[in-house]
Amino acid sequence: MRAFVHNVLLAIFWMLVTESFTLANFLVGFAIGFLLLFLARSLFDPTSRRYFTLAWRLPWFVAKMLWEIVLSSLQVARAVLSPRMRIRPGIVAYPLEAQSDLEITLLANLITLTPGTLSLDVSSDRRVLYVHGMFVEDPKAVVESIRDNLEKAVLEVTR
Amino acid sequence: MSFLEGALIALLLTLPFAVYRLVRGPTLPDRVVGLDLITTVSVALAALYALVSGQTAFLDVATALALFAFLATLGLARYIEYRGHRED
Amino acid sequence: MLTLVYVLVLGGIFFLFIAAIGVVRMPDLYNRMHATSKAATLGVGLILVAVAVFYWDLSVAARALATLAFIVLTAPVAAHALGRAAYLSGVKPCEDTYIDELAGHYQKNHRLESVEVKPPAPDPSE
Repeated sequence: MRAFVHNVLLAIFWMLVTESFTLANFLVGFAIGFLLLFLARSLFDPTSRRYFTLAWRLPWFVAKMLWEIVLSSLQVARAVLSPRMRIRPGIVAYPLEAQSDLEITLLANLITLTPGTLSLDVSSDRRVLYVHGMFVEDPKAVVESIRDNLEKAVLEVTR
Repeated sequence: MSFLEGALIALLLTLPFAVYRLVRGPTLPDRVVGLDLITTVSVALAALYALVSGQTAFLDVATALALFAFLATLGLARYIEYRGHRED
Repeated sequence: MLTLVYVLVLGGIFFLFIAAIGVVRMPDLYNRMHATSKAATLGVGLILVAVAVFYWDLSVAARALATLAFIVLTAPVAAHALGRAAYLSGVKPCEDTYIDELAGHYQKNHRLESVEVKPPAPDPSE
């Protein structure tokens, strides 16, 4: 977190020095600042140093998330526009591996934004997440696809 | 009529669908879904109008509307949860 | 650059239309929420990105992207709150619903158990 603040400060400083307050110039300053901080990474304590591994993983995570949103919207579009709606809704229990609030929140949000699934509720003991699916051919397949595609990605970013 | 003005009118045409769901129900949560869609479309309208008019201040309208819509939906969901079973 | 803006706006309107038609056509509340939580989010998001691309200015882009981030983070939360409230208030999934593993897991006090529990015997003092 501290490394991120440093990075933003460096980007603002870059804008001040170059006297041009545009988005493109901010991004250039941010990239240069990141490079500088990366070269000086041994000066940070280990917890702040997580910023640098996260900086590689987070863009991937966000890109993947956006791609999933596009896919799911296209799937909804296909279901909505087909004259005979071929949907097979169902509510499935998903056994959670994620533990902390952040992990469960992220996973539940991602499940809602990904194709065909919508998270309804978490059990009070945080062991099970109930998911409403639009195309449930086989409950086991839904659980497996959530575990392989989403939970792994979430845990990679948070742990 | 420019392209963006046409887009604005096209966006307005989605509102009747949401209003249909708001009026027809059949249950209160269904009406909330319709209302939610109306505010979402309004956010899009405000953002699009920022393009058409060249006034970036309308972007702030979109932000405030998005904040308000979230709180409204949460409040209504809370109300639905605690008023108990009812058919309407 | 202007072509990109037009494509983004067109895409946004397309997905908002999908959400609107879905809200009318879908058979029950839970399926309707699929339409509003996914397609409508993407539609608004594309239009906000179009604004950011059109002005290509730091203050505008920051506001547009902040709004976008807020919508992407809150739309699923709103859908979750509404879906849970609807299930608790007794909105039934439609007849096509193929499996319902949530049925019978809610307690009287809205606690949700991970295994099915018989409702406790009524308290005689009440």
